[in-house]
Amino acid sequence: MRSPLVRQILILVALALAPGIGQAVYFRHKVSWQSPIPPSELVTVDQARVWGKNVIWVDARPDDEFASDHAPGAISLNEDRWNELLPQFLAEWSPGKKVVVYCSSLSCNASREVARRLRKEAKLPDVFVLEGGWEAWVKKNR
Amino acid sequence: MKTHIVAFALSIIISLSARAELKWEQTMIELHPTPADKQAIGHFKYQNPGKTPVHFKSVHASCGCTTAQSQKDEVPPGGTGEITATFNIGDRTGTQVKTVTVETDEAPNAKTVLTLKTIIPQQLEISPTFVFWKQGDKADPKTITVKAGKEFTVKHIKVTSSSPDFQTKVEEKGNGEFQIDVQPQETKNVVASTLTIQPEDSQKVFYATARITNAPTIQ
Repeated sequence: MRSPLVRQILILVALALAPGIGQAVYFRHKVSWQSPIPPSELVTVDQARVWGKNVIWVDARPDDEFASDHAPGAISLNEDRWNELLPQFLAEWSPGKKVVVYCSSLSCNASREVARRLRKEAKLPDVFVLEGGWEAWVKKNR
Repeated sequence: MKTHIVAFALSIIISLSARAELKWEQTMIELHPTPADKQAIGHFKYQNPGKTPVHFKSVHASCGCTTAQSQKDEVPPGGTGEITATFNIGDRTGTQVKTVTVETDEAPNAKTVLTLKTIIPQQLEISPTFVFWKQGDKADPKTITVKAGKEFTVKHIKVTSSSPDFQTKVEEKGNGEFQIDVQPQETKNVVASTLTIQPEDSQKVFYATARITNAPTIQ
């Protein structure tokens, strides 16, 4: 038979856990629950720089942000105009090229989605997401 | 002892509920737009059951594809209103989850995260959306598989190549599945074609790309 103290502790622990478990079930589809990008699909600015001209830089940010500023030679490919922009990107792609997708790192998931679609829908190999996004690129290059 | 536990639990619940003055009808909305819809709009309704006005400090969407607007800056006691979240679908597919963070002056760190979940219907699933041949490759046909989405019935599709350099042939496999064989005339030159795929009796158009690419990059 359990002592009253153990029983009280168990009740308190159950009470403390209940809201957390409830939230975990209710918000299971929220963005924050997505699994992190596997390290093999991430690349840093320095790593991408080593690849030199063998890289296609893809800017996944909205049109206005791309128009405002972007990495030299970067191609705009966002999901607002995916069908229109994808052929323009594919015109630059050739086997052996590596693709590095970036977006704004501030609360932005666009580069991850664009990279996923290039891999899954277009079946392209060597597609990476830039760690730190546009802000990391600016920090290293400006 | 039981009384102590209940009192402890109640005090936590009361202290937590006393902090939140704006009462939200729901903080998560699931939307099911039609294939023709350009936007999905969620209305997050709230009420101020407290005795003091609540001011919005900021309303911030998690993504550039989503905008969020508050009808008013101040909610008087007993007042009601809503935050309107508009998600621009664009060419996105699948399930999209976007959040709107609402910050008020009701208490320190009083932030509410509103979640807009949009299930975008996918009439056709195309795989792959890109077929290519390297210059000098044998001009063999390559296959694109097209499958009707779960909620759709597609009996026939029409495929058009934007360039005569590529020929297409559609084979109906049944159960809403189709096979498109794409074949270049030759692979000497770098050429490309946009393949337009349209279900019968539908205005919606889907795309795939066929291309002869440059020789592989030497690494």
